[in-house]
Amino acid sequence: MQHDATLKVDNLTVDLLTSKTAVRPVDGVSYSVRKGECLAIVGESGSGKTVMNFAPLGLMPAGVSTELSGSVKFNGRELIGLEDGELRHIRGKSIGFIFQDPMSALNPVRRIGRQIAEMAELHLGLSPSAAEARALELIKLVGIPDPEARLRQYPHELSGGLRQRVVIAIALAGEPKLLIADEPTTALDVTVQAQILRLLKDLRKRLDMAMILITHDMGVVASSADDIVVMYAARAVERGPVEEVLTQPRHPYTRALINAIPKSSDTVGTRFRGLSGMPPILGAPNPGCAFAPRCDLAVAECRHTRPLMSQATHSTVRFACPIANTESEIHGTGTCS
Amino acid sequence: MAQAPVLKVENLSTRFKTGQRGKFVHAVDDVSIELRSGEIVGLVGESGCGKSTLGRTIVGLEKAHTGKVFLDGVELNRLNGREARERRRAVQYVFQDPYSSLNDRQTIGETIEEALLIGGLRSREERAAQITKLLDQVGLASVVKDRYSRELSGGQRQRAAIARSLAVNPRVLICDEPVSALDLSIRAQVMNLFLDLRKELDVAILFIAHDLGLVRQASSRVYVMYLGKIVEHGPSQELYDNPSHPYSQFLLSSVPEADPTTERDRELPMLAGELPSPVDPPSGCRFRTRCPLVADRCSLHLPEPATVSPAHSSACIRAREMHAKRRSIFVEHRAA
Repeated sequence: MQHDATLKVDNLTVDLLTSKTAVRPVDGVSYSVRKGECLAIVGESGSGKTVMNFAPLGLMPAGVSTELSGSVKFNGRELIGLEDGELRHIRGKSIGFIFQDPMSALNPVRRIGRQIAEMAELHLGLSPSAAEARALELIKLVGIPDPEARLRQYPHELSGGLRQRVVIAIALAGEPKLLIADEPTTALDVTVQAQILRLLKDLRKRLDMAMILITHDMGVVASSADDIVVMYAARAVERGPVEEVLTQPRHPYTRALINAIPKSSDTVGTRFRGLSGMPPILGAPNPGCAFAPRCDLAVAECRHTRPLMSQATHSTVRFACPIANTESEIHGTGTCS
Repeated sequence: MAQAPVLKVENLSTRFKTGQRGKFVHAVDDVSIELRSGEIVGLVGESGCGKSTLGRTIVGLEKAHTGKVFLDGVELNRLNGREARERRRAVQYVFQDPYSSLNDRQTIGETIEEALLIGGLRSREERAAQITKLLDQVGLASVVKDRYSRELSGGQRQRAAIARSLAVNPRVLICDEPVSALDLSIRAQVMNLFLDLRKELDVAILFIAHDLGLVRQASSRVYVMYLGKIVEHGPSQELYDNPSHPYSQFLLSSVPEADPTTERDRELPMLAGELPSPVDPPSGCRFRTRCPLVADRCSLHLPEPATVSPAHSSACIRAREMHAKRRSIFVEHRAA
């Protein structure tokens, strides 16, 4: 069981149907994350990175009918096709969530302590007084100073960093095996971000949890994650160990994305490197490669043949660009490791 | 240095009332900055440090408590009525969120035309020509003028908002987090637009942002703000290479780089305590309650900015010493 994945996603496709439109925000994506490890999912808005994590757990807006295909196994149990009641037992208990904005994730009119204790009562079946004790333990665990006093406070009395720590404490209340953090530091300052990243890393190791970190910040990925999935327009374009993907990106989109990050070696006043064009608008699945209109390597075939994920030469990295893959074989750029 | 600044802010303070009598939020406290034409100047600091309030006070969206704002040598806060409005027009603001800063019931053309009308352009033909020219200047096709903002992407909206602010021929643009609502792949395009505008229009840009990497590359000079005060100021390359205020050192070393080989084992720096309240800021140096180098005298009086190298100053009693060391006090946290 040691090597079994905590979460294993295979060929997941999500279709969203409203009364007027049908879109496919996730199209045939596979990834997995093991105990104690952190998987980063990177992509721009609309790339499907959030939907892909929330739809299989039944977290979708009302009024939208969601169709899932493929497989999502959590500790060996298939989640697709589960009744909502069963999903509710998993959500928040075995799988904890951290959202981007700690203010809207907390109830503004209830004390911090009650909000944490409530989760312990619900998921662990503790008595109210045992749950209060558990809340105190949790608030100490996430490193909030003066814990007893904080339990009696309301969210508005705390700073952004402390609020996010409270959100983390709530996520941990059910003793989750998997923590899904959706942009957990985007709303925070860099100095506070550093503290939260440190805390998450520390908790993951101490509690031996698997973690999925949804982000768009490659700096956050570099400091926290073991593996990475890069999403573009509903599909995974590259997947592999962070060390390799960030230092030696293979897919043209990943390359351009990493190249676009300002470096401390860039001369002041020089132009910013970026991508031309715009990300595609979510709609019907693209028959070819969605990145083709913005890609330097694109050939005519890219527009109508869907690129499949394939393994890079001498590497565990997989990426979806046959053009770059052949190129690396010819020039041997994929072999230096 | 020969060129006179187009915008000069002198000893500006902005404060807000709190619920309690006699208590104020000291958002901006005795700040002086300068901008020259054709220059992009960065303003960085954490949320709540007063950087947006400073920008808003400069354009007149907040009232200054004390201090002066000069535009081309004319003091703006002394003017009233029509003259004030006309003068202030030369300082324009670009907001963070292009989703809420554009009127969604007007087409982009109508939005820009309104600004042109306010600017006094009477002829309809001239306005139409000007709209096309402005859209072209910000890299939008002229068909965009008949679109509503909801039909545009985030990057296009921000371009439209910039076109609107350019309609009145500003000398100064205050850009408050202009790209943070945009996707990574679009940011560079909008940043490059600012670089172009600065050259083409010789406009001065105050670039308020929390993305330190963007600020470094775009700005010739940078101001670092903490709890209402400017703590360090200098040419951006020099300041980033050799930050000489403990707070700047802390801020700069908090940013994780996109390099797993250096980041994986690096302990990100930590400071004691939380940001103090701007209602009751610490006496003396504002940063002393969290500073690892704090000494007794830090609480006695506010440290004067010390010049550590040409045009580079830091408001810390140990500024020169830190500058000479060329080594961050948070460097021990960086594992080899």
